[in-house]
Amino acid sequence: MSSIKLTVSLFLISLIFTSKTVSAQAIQSTSTSLDVTVAPGEILPVSVKLSNFGGGKRVDVLISYIIASDSGNEIVKLSETVAVETTNNFIKNIQIPKSSSEGVYTAKTSVVYDGQVTPANTEFSFKVEKKIFGIFKNQFYLYFGGIIIFGILVFIVTQILSSKQNRNLSRFSPIDYSNIDSKDRVFYELVSDTIMGMRHKVGDRALDIASAIEGLSINRETGRVIKLSRTPSKIIAELVLGYEKSLGQKISFAFREPRR
Amino acid sequence: MNKTILVIEDEKASRDLLVRVFQKENFTVLQAENGKTGMKTALDMHPDLILLDLLMPIMGGIEALKEIRKTKWGKTIPVIILTNLSATDEKLVESMISERPAYYLIKSDWKIFDVVKKIKEVLRIN
Repeated sequence: MSSIKLTVSLFLISLIFTSKTVSAQAIQSTSTSLDVTVAPGEILPVSVKLSNFGGGKRVDVLISYIIASDSGNEIVKLSETVAVETTNNFIKNIQIPKSSSEGVYTAKTSVVYDGQVTPANTEFSFKVEKKIFGIFKNQFYLYFGGIIIFGILVFIVTQILSSKQNRNLSRFSPIDYSNIDSKDRVFYELVSDTIMGMRHKVGDRALDIASAIEGLSINRETGRVIKLSRTPSKIIAELVLGYEKSLGQKISFAFREPRR
Repeated sequence: MNKTILVIEDEKASRDLLVRVFQKENFTVLQAENGKTGMKTALDMHPDLILLDLLMPIMGGIEALKEIRKTKWGKTIPVIILTNLSATDEKLVESMISERPAYYLIKSDWKIFDVVKKIKEVLRIN
């Protein structure tokens, strides 16, 4: 008398599924949790392993495959005959119909052979889910949601940084001295930009230092240079010296491009 | 378009570093070790920008810049001062105002890649 042990497993991506195992002589069942998803129209690869414990005698086995929905609706029904001497392993590719609706399905496999004492069958569950742009719907929504959340975060951070930069720009942007005579304007601009540059580094203390310089009159709120009543280069040199003492480091400065 | 920078710097180590970084940034780089050769190179080669140290032997940066500014070409050539000399001297400030460099940068205050940024800004390179 032959006894056939049937093992069916499913490989998809890197998932390995071992389904229930039923032998003719003793019922042994092992199963692991399944998280396998296929899209309608895709192939469900089923790995079949048949073991004949009947002493090496060749047995013709009729294998039936049934894919059924949760409600019991059979969407695939196939059968084939396979000869087994000791073992026979193969992959059966079952195409899931394109028209299949989404949901949980069961793949049932059973074997029938001469002299069979007890039924040998196995089954496992899998999910059918549609794809969007080649990605399973749920994953797509997950990624899409993630991208939207990321986009929103980037937008918020950009807005915050931009408003902060705008605040700084309005506070430290160069003051216009076009009302000053062109031959004196360069001095006003240089003094003003030096004050602004320092204000950026040491805050409003820069205004205190500038106010203390003889011959330099500034607006204490805006830092605008109101009047230079001493040699400008002397004022600038004193201003730079004052800032260097305050900051403890030497001062770099920029010259505005001359107006054409 | 490939822009040319003239580096006038007496300290060899600093000059070599600047030259190497600017070359990596695809600038054509000319170099001089003092104000006199720097001025001559500038007037002969007409670079697009001069990076100028102030304290140098033979001829200082200010004198070289004054000579360069006397020429028609030199009047508008952008110059960036890169020095350790603090602008706390009235005469130096006066010279700066009259010779109009684009920037007066203190070496210790500036990382070399920030200097590259300033150069690109002055040369209007993205």
